[in-house]
Amino acid sequence: MASVNPTEPLVASDIRITDPEFRRFCDFFYRRTGIVFGDTQRVYVDRRLADCIVAAGSRGFAEHFARLLVEPREMERLISLFTVNETYFYREEYQLRCLTSTLLDGIVARKRIGQPVRLWSMPCSTGEEPYSIAIWLLENWAEVDRWDIEIIGSDIDTKVLEAAEAGEYSERALMRLPRPLVDKYFTRIGDKRYRIDEGLRGSVQFSRVNVIDQAEMARWRGIDVVFCRNMLIYFDEVSRRTAAGNLYDSLAPGGYICLGHTESMSRISPLFEVRRFPDAIVYQKPEEGGHA
Amino acid sequence: MRDGPASARVLVVDDGSLIRLYYREALEAAGFEVAEAINGIEALEKVLTDRFDLLIVDINMPKMDGVSFLRTLRARDGEAGAIPALVISSEAGEQDARDARAAGANYYLVKPVAAADLTLHVAVLTGTPSGGALA
Ligand SMILES: C[S@@+](CC[C@H](N)C(=O)[O-])C[C@H]1O[C@@H](n2cnc3c(N)ncnc32)[C@H](O)[C@@H]1O
Repeated sequence: MASVNPTEPLVASDIRITDPEFRRFCDFFYRRTGIVFGDTQRVYVDRRLADCIVAAGSRGFAEHFARLLVEPREMERLISLFTVNETYFYREEYQLRCLTSTLLDGIVARKRIGQPVRLWSMPCSTGEEPYSIAIWLLENWAEVDRWDIEIIGSDIDTKVLEAAEAGEYSERALMRLPRPLVDKYFTRIGDKRYRIDEGLRGSVQFSRVNVIDQAEMARWRGIDVVFCRNMLIYFDEVSRRTAAGNLYDSLAPGGYICLGHTESMSRISPLFEVRRFPDAIVYQKPEEGGHA
Repeated sequence: MRDGPASARVLVVDDGSLIRLYYREALEAAGFEVAEAINGIEALEKVLTDRFDLLIVDINMPKMDGVSFLRTLRARDGEAGAIPALVISSEAGEQDARDARAAGANYYLVKPVAAADLTLHVAVLTGTPSGGALA
């Protein structure tokens, strides 16, 4: 960075990331998030890193890297810039169908009235997934008023959690939701913008959680179903296994994990039993006293 | 003057946010006006400051449960103390229904209650058989 004049504001194109810096960064980011970047993503990583350095007002990689270690806000900004948050309402709807056609029957059979049914969207990104679970239950589960349903949405990215709590969506996020449901649960607030019903907003609790952090995950126990979709694809084998182990510990005995359709637990962890139901393949933590 | 007949007003008292939403959507679709409270204490505040034609009351709630709420309400003189109450509970035992009746419930339903059944019972209890419009 010797060629940069320290008195002039930096622009992203001034910043060059060297090979060792790139590797140091990827290693650091991987250890914090489980997400891996390979050499094929070099251009993508360099550009975002440069944006991050400029936005933070750092003078270059070395200074910024040092700040990441001590400034949680800069770490949050970095995570927001590097995570892929693509999601939409009623994505992979067959799993929601599986929830009401099969999974919940078994779950409530083990519960006493008054014990909550705990459903966890991990990761939830901007909230479309946990809100979809709520809407699906309201529309499709005959016992929806009989049980105390807790829906939790978690993500490592604080920025998407803020958006989830605000509950405002573009038409694109709603494209797969049947029109009558859009009219029923959303208010139009402007050109192609919609705000979710207040009651729905209040029915989901959002929290920041890092799935590969065992200490953070230890706060979450007794979960009946985890929707863990389209996150493990960004991990390597080691962090996938860590995530699977942490999620296993968070589940109640007999609880389920639903993965994205390109993901499979069989290749990740032997802890779960594969359950092939008519609507979806899901993974179950063995019942107490059962066998894996 | 409002245009058209006034709607019957229903207060839904339940600690489950999805449950309140489910009842509200069903009742609003049938033409009722709906307000919500998350426990007996909040419900008491609302009935004392607002006018309702019917209360829908859950039994198991934190802070103040449905039975204590109804007892407190029925002990009051005046209009608020006499608002009809439909208890909807997950407790299916006969003693639960008897306790609710003794506390002042006018009718008792066991969850789950389908939307059509809910609107039918609310229509009958508010004396508005054809949707929410008060004659
Ligand atoms: C593509 S979105 C998936 C959202 C939703 N589950 C879906 O399928 O539509 C992936 C999300 O995983 C989150 N994520 C990545 N690494 C994470 C980690 N270690 N812990 C928690 N969330 C993480 C990202 O922030 C991002 O919002």
